[in-house]
Amino acid sequence: MDFIIGGAYQGKREYARSRFSVAEDEIFTCCENGRIDWRARCIDKLEEFTLWCVRSGADPVGLFKSHGDAWRGSVLICMDISCGVVPLGAENRAWREATGRLCAYLASEADSVTRMFCGLAQKLK
Amino acid sequence: MNILISGGSKSGKSALAQQAALRLAGGGKRYYVATMIPYDGEDRARVARHVADRAGMGFETLELGRKVERCLSLAATDATFLVDSVTALLLNEMYPDDHGAEADPDAAKRCVEGLLKVARGAGNAVFVSDRIYSDAIRYDCFTEKYRADLALIDRSLASACDTVLELCAGNVIVHKGEWKP
Repeated sequence: MDFIIGGAYQGKREYARSRFSVAEDEIFTCCENGRIDWRARCIDKLEEFTLWCVRSGADPVGLFKSHGDAWRGSVLICMDISCGVVPLGAENRAWREATGRLCAYLASEADSVTRMFCGLAQKLK
Repeated sequence: MNILISGGSKSGKSALAQQAALRLAGGGKRYYVATMIPYDGEDRARVARHVADRAGMGFETLELGRKVERCLSLAATDATFLVDSVTALLLNEMYPDDHGAEADPDAAKRCVEGLLKVARGAGNAVFVSDRIYSDAIRYDCFTEKYRADLALIDRSLASACDTVLELCAGNVIVHKGEWKP
């Protein structure tokens, strides 16, 4: 599994397409409804999935572990939302922490970890 | 030679940018292109601090809150320009006449064109931007558009520049090109 992390609009999805030859129709884009295609070649916007998890009381790391056979060969993309001031709202705090824990887990399981900065790839693992 | 420098607030971007510009100028003419238009006392204090920081470095200041590419006609084009900051430039370009109620949706496009003219036309240029892309907040449409627009400018500059540096608590992360401390 190849994990791509970075701030908003830093070129994460474009990098997945160019570096890992992922076609646009192979990318599953998460949204707030919690749906996820565990077997997609590439899953983008995992931060939307973690937001759904927080709202519905689910544990994103646990869910990823229980579907571990499905995504081991995938490209996973998550926005880095870890660097602001501690959010005032409880939901945003829980969201930030859940996303951070998921990112740490996925990075530890990944074959490669890439951080995007201004469209440039920084290899972390 | 062109350099893009970005990073968080108070991470040392301006100091590094001044150092880089001095090095690139190599004794030649150097201009500090100040893009922030001060509106209140806090802004003026920030400007005064920046002016004091670069005292004695030989920069001539050009205050260009909009249409930053004008620096090329105000100075010798083989000079070195330090554009600080892209972030303030975008904000000003969103309100081209100072009184506009609606933000101009084409501001980012204009910034990219102007900044790339500077990058291509100047002897050397150093651009300073801000990393505002990694917090856990759902912004309003206006702020989100501003973030997307600034990121578009950043990516365009990163692609055009020879060197791209990120500052983290005064430490330099080299994303493109080379940097010797």
